[in-house]
Amino acid sequence: MNSLRKYAWIAFTAARSNLAYLGEVSSRLIFLTVILYIFLRLWQDTYDYSGTGKLGDFSLNQMLWYLTVTEAILLSGPKVSQLIDEDVRTGSFATHLVRPMSYPLYRLAMCLGERVVRFISNMFAGCLVTSVLVGPSSLQWSGFWFLLLALPLAFVLDFLGNFLVGLGAFWIEDTSGLLLIYSRGTMLIGGVLLPLELYPTSVQPLLKILPFANIAYAPARLFVNPTLTDLLLVLSRQLFGVALLGSAVYLVYRVAQRRVFINGG
Amino acid sequence: MNKFFNWLLLAGSYLRLNLRSHLEYRGAFFSQVIAMILNNSLWLIFWSIFFKRFPVLHGWDFNDVITVWGVTAAGYGLATGLCGNAIALPTLVLRGQLDAWLMYPRALLPHLVLGKMTATSWGDAIFGYAVFVLFVRPDLEHFFLFVLFTLTTTVLLIGFFVLIGSLSFFIGNAESITEQWRFSLITFSTYPATLFHGGVKLLLYSFIPAGFVSYLPAEALKTSSVGLTLITIFAALVMLGLGFAAFYLGLRRYESGNLMDLKG
Repeated sequence: MNSLRKYAWIAFTAARSNLAYLGEVSSRLIFLTVILYIFLRLWQDTYDYSGTGKLGDFSLNQMLWYLTVTEAILLSGPKVSQLIDEDVRTGSFATHLVRPMSYPLYRLAMCLGERVVRFISNMFAGCLVTSVLVGPSSLQWSGFWFLLLALPLAFVLDFLGNFLVGLGAFWIEDTSGLLLIYSRGTMLIGGVLLPLELYPTSVQPLLKILPFANIAYAPARLFVNPTLTDLLLVLSRQLFGVALLGSAVYLVYRVAQRRVFINGG
Repeated sequence: MNKFFNWLLLAGSYLRLNLRSHLEYRGAFFSQVIAMILNNSLWLIFWSIFFKRFPVLHGWDFNDVITVWGVTAAGYGLATGLCGNAIALPTLVLRGQLDAWLMYPRALLPHLVLGKMTATSWGDAIFGYAVFVLFVRPDLEHFFLFVLFTLTTTVLLIGFFVLIGSLSFFIGNAESITEQWRFSLITFSTYPATLFHGGVKLLLYSFIPAGFVSYLPAEALKTSSVGLTLITIFAALVMLGLGFAAFYLGLRRYESGNLMDLKG
């Protein structure tokens, strides 16, 4: 219990410190507005061109709200792998090991605290922009609650993916290339740019069970099209993803620890 | 003319020096280059999925998007590969780190912007040329025209990055705003031009000059228009001039950070 309180306090401190950088928050919102505007124009023209009210079960209004949520999730991601990379490179990883806390859990708490603040600000601005662009959503309240239920595990999944990338610093000189591929993987096969329903039918089942899809696609889809069956399916897939990636992190972290050499006095 | 060749020699020397410094960490350098090529390729997969489902969007097809991507990526890659410090300008000004560059016996700005190379830039540049050749399959005339446009985009982007980076001289911390401005320009430059109308179109030919980065070059390549080619060249030179003017105007307000710094 004491241990839980310790990590909750770290998360709270990270959230509070993030709130102090309002300039950084507001400038991030400029980019979010640009992206949402471009998506609006792209999809408005696409719906006009296709002459249909729905594409892949999404109306234009739903599509824009879907993309608002996926972008809010994507842009809320704090720097996790870069910090781990830096810790390994500068040697400060060794000093973390002597602290009375688990390094992965410390990073997880920091990440969640920071991400909550960033996601709320993104979502607030995103809702404002999308409401102006396509009018208020025709969404249901259950979508909002289902999104809240799906987000914690989505954030944990993304953290685990980033943590794995960061641990790569024990073996390679620079992990920025790996991070680039991971983040674009989340964008493309994770359904950030377009819902997985618009992908070729043959690849959809595979994409939907991958951890990437349960970071942005699944929560955003629940937001615009909430059903209890989908919620249970998403939560179970997320739990499976967390178990899978969590085991990978555990194993790689153990091997990585053996590569730490502490010298000095 | 002699002066121009002198600057080209200077750029060549910096390029060689920066490349050697990056190649000291070969693994990191090549992994970043390959990662950037893969990163950009993922965007093309998105567009190929999109255009497979909706083959034409307001007269634009997959090849047109390849062209804007090719020009933007190659231009951005060359700009930040050759003049990597152009995007670091706000940080350098904010932290008072121009002192070391001020001691050089020649003009400050060229030395400063040429002083750094971004490894991922070469991934962008290789990607830009490769996708244009592989997908659009141009004849020789169009290939040379494409190369010309990548150069105008390079010049325009260097000028634009210096221009917005110089904001730091006037408003202090401009790191965040210039970063968002840069991202916005690149993002707009890689979407079909026909999506934007009215006031936004005006914006795309002024404050966020995506029109000159990729829309006009794509149109000029499609129609082989001499007029559009000349406008693009002119816009690039004007932007470079504006960047130079803003930098030297702002430099008068520069305050040293009193940092000890040595450049090898």
